[in-house]
This record gives sequence, structure tokens and C-alpha cells, in this order.
Amino acid sequence: MTDEPYRWLEAVANRREYIRDQLKGATPVFAFSRPEGILLCGVGAGQSKIFEIYDRHGLAALGHPVDIEKIRQALIEAAHLEGFTRAPEDVTVRRLLNFSLGPALKGAFEQVFSAPLIVEGVFAEVGSAPGTDVLARFSYDGTHRLETGGIGVAHAAPEREAAAAAWLAKHAGGGAPLAQTVNAALAAWQALASADGAFPEEVPAAPPDLGGRLVELALLERAGPGRARYRALDASAWAHHG
Amino acid sequence: MNGDFLSLLAKSSFAAGASPVAAGAGPPPLEATTVFAFHCAAGVLVAGDHRATAGNIVFSDRTEKIIELDRHSLLAIAGSPAVAVEMARTLQTAFEFYRRSQFQPMSLPAKMRALSRLLHENVPATLQGFGLVSPIFAGHDAATGRPSIYFYDPLGAQFEAAAYAGSGSGSGSIKSVLHFLEQWGRPKPEEMPLAQAVCLANRLLLTAAEFDTATGGVDPAGGDFATVKLLDADGVHAISPEEQAQFWREAKP
Repeated sequence: MTDEPYRWLEAVANRREYIRDQLKGATPVFAFSRPEGILLCGVGAGQSKIFEIYDRHGLAALGHPVDIEKIRQALIEAAHLEGFTRAPEDVTVRRLLNFSLGPALKGAFEQVFSAPLIVEGVFAEVGSAPGTDVLARFSYDGTHRLETGGIGVAHAAPEREAAAAAWLAKHAGGGAPLAQTVNAALAAWQALASADGAFPEEVPAAPPDLGGRLVELALLERAGPGRARYRALDASAWAHHG
Repeated sequence: MNGDFLSLLAKSSFAAGASPVAAGAGPPPLEATTVFAFHCAAGVLVAGDHRATAGNIVFSDRTEKIIELDRHSLLAIAGSPAVAVEMARTLQTAFEFYRRSQFQPMSLPAKMRALSRLLHENVPATLQGFGLVSPIFAGHDAATGRPSIYFYDPLGAQFEAAAYAGSGSGSGSIKSVLHFLEQWGRPKPEEMPLAQAVCLANRLLLTAAEFDTATGGVDPAGGDFATVKLLDADGVHAISPEEQAQFWREAKP
């Protein structure tokens, strides 16, 4: 069937439609480049969406939990082998995207006789200054783009994702206090989680009611003791930041 | 095996074994001496001098032998620095790899077994005479809530030290003094506060250097102090030369 070119194109198109359909129920994840580091934020119902990958690297992902776990393990293996055989400084988002994550996603997407990886997300690397942070928004087909505005959003619907990124840039960008950034991310999450939810005029002063869902927050600290910079934040701790 | 960096490493192209050589071939092997650890009131103190030797040659007086493997474990190396430092680097990566991939830190018994495994894999180099490593491992056990000291033979057998352990050419003198103090000291080393224990560590190295030319690089009067690290329930704390100098000045003769 797929040995005919147009059949193969049709199979890939069907696959894209299938993955997008599977991702419809997934909720967004966020990454913010901030003065103190990179904030990763996700909201789940018992499944983690925010992960430590390497010394300066974190992952925020949505999709099928098993597929998220597959790319998480692959990234951790690639990063640690690279850091061991060369040096931790040689482990970068750009290189891991090019030799590990990108080929793995593209290969799974185009193998039309096997199950694809249903996963999207933001892969983050904290630098010595906000200008050297790297936020890479990657897709299930192996493509990625580097976010230059300091905000990374991953959501199943591209138009809504772009709208959320624009709203967050206006309300939570730059040097906004951490609590404001978190509240803005949760308000954006609430708006995106419903099909036609509107973004509020202003960032709410308190975290919105998310129906008992688990809020996951982590900071890739720009400076600190030791090499590992990933710190999981207590969901109640960020509220105390001014 | 999930979370096993050593297996992952073995499958990678980096794992290239050393070519066999005849025993006794080449120059005298480089050796790092002298390291020791003992219990004090603040936790476990791990210390070492700065000297590395090759036969009768002082190769370096700036060698770091007390290596932090992670926040809760230390490796004190004696023997071939090339092999020992590579073991430490492997363990550092293996512990972090496990913690990140398995969402939990590796247990203390698993860390000790990882070191045993590396030593066992190093037996061919040990028998050929150039890769002998005889380390001391100090780790904090989350299950028991206390730090422990372990020492190893070059084949990988591990032994827990009740009060102290020493390794390297100068360790004989140091273990003798520590044994004496544990039996008849007032206070015993395990009762000493941190400042007193740090001063004891430097004095032990000065004592060892009197009888062993391979122990050196420590001169408190001249401002050169031992490498000293403390392991307690909060993790590893490096005692800086400035702190040691203050302890040394305040110590009663």
C-alpha cells in the first residue's frame, strides 16, 4: 500500500490527524525565562509533566504518559553519556535535539506501520544570563523551533498556543514577580483547557481554582551550589514570592 | 537494568578496555596517598594530603583526593589517580543518572555495590601492577539516619569501619594514632567537636609525613592545610583552608 508515493503521503497525513486527535485531551505546559532561572509549569491529574533531564536541562511535555516517558528516558541517557564522554558543558539543547530527540520523534512519526510517539513539549536549558537561555518547542514529528521571547508554550491547538504565548508575553514576561508569572500561567492553562475559554483582562491576584488538579512547578536555577540546577518548587512556596 | 549507567556505558562506544601489558613494564606507576576517615561528634570527617608520587618522585603536591560523589557520599582515593578519578567520575554520573531516571536517589547499599563492581572490573589492571585503587567510601544512609565509613580491598570487598579507616602509604601511622585515641583518648575522636577533629586531621597527616615520604603537601604553619570534608545528615560540607586556619589558631597546644 505505502510503496506508492501518494499512498505514503496519505498514510502520513492520516497519522498526523490521528496524533492531533489523540492530543486533543492534553493540557498545556509552560516555560518562562526569568532573572533567577527558567520556570517550568504544568498541571496534571496524577501524571507528571515536568522533568529534570540533566544539570541545566528540564523538560515540560504533554501527550501520552508512556510516550513522554520514552523521550524522557532517551534524553536522560543521551545527556548523561554525552556529559560523561565529553563534559557537562557540552550537553546542550541544540545538540540533543539534533542527534537524539529530533531523529527519534521523526523516525517514530514516519514509521507508518508502528505506533507514533504522541508527545509535544518544551525542552529548556538555563544559561548564565536570561539572554543565553534556550527554550525549544518540539513537536511529535521531530520538528522544533527555538523561542526567542523567553516564553515557551506547548499546546495541542497551534492557534490557541500562539494566543496564549502573546497573552503571557504581555502579562508575565521579563521581570514580573514569580507569583504573578505562576498565576498568569495557571490562568492561561485554565483558558486553554476549555475549547473556547477566554484569557482574563488582568492576571488574577490569587491562583485560579483548578478543580483539585496537581500544579507542578520547577525552577532551573541560574546560579546555585553544585552542578544540578533543577529544583522542584513546592506548589505552596511560590505564593510567597513577591 | 533500569537506571543502570554502568550497563549503558558498556553498550556505548566509550567503553574501550586497556590493552594488556606485561607486569613491570614502563615507569613506576603514579600513586596518590594518604587518606583517612573517622567519626567525630559532627558526623564523619574525611581527609587527605595533597601528594601524588611516582616511585621516589614527588609528582604533585596539589592533588585532590577527597571527591564528592553526590550530596550524601564521598570517595577518598588512594592508589592510581588515573583509575581512581575515572571511577569517581563514573560513580558521580551513575548516581545522578539513577536519581533522574528513577525519580529517587540510589540507596547507600546500591552505591557501595556500584563501587565494588568498578573495583572488581579493575582487577586485571590491578594485577598488572599499574591500576591499584584502594578507596574509602563515606555515605549517609537515609534509612538509618547516620553516616558510615567503608573501606575496600583492591578486589572490591567492602568492610564497614566502626570508628575509622585509612588507606595509602601513610595510613599505617594514622591508624595507629586513631586506634590509640579511640582506646585511651580524652576525648575520643568520635566525641570531638568539628574544630578539634579538623585539627586532629592535620596533625595526623603531619605525623604520617614524618615516617612516609609519599605523604605531604600539608603545612598548617605555612598556610597549607589538608583537604577536609564533613559528611552529616545535611550532606557534604567542605572545610575551607580559611576555616581550618581559624581552627588551627584557636586550638590549644
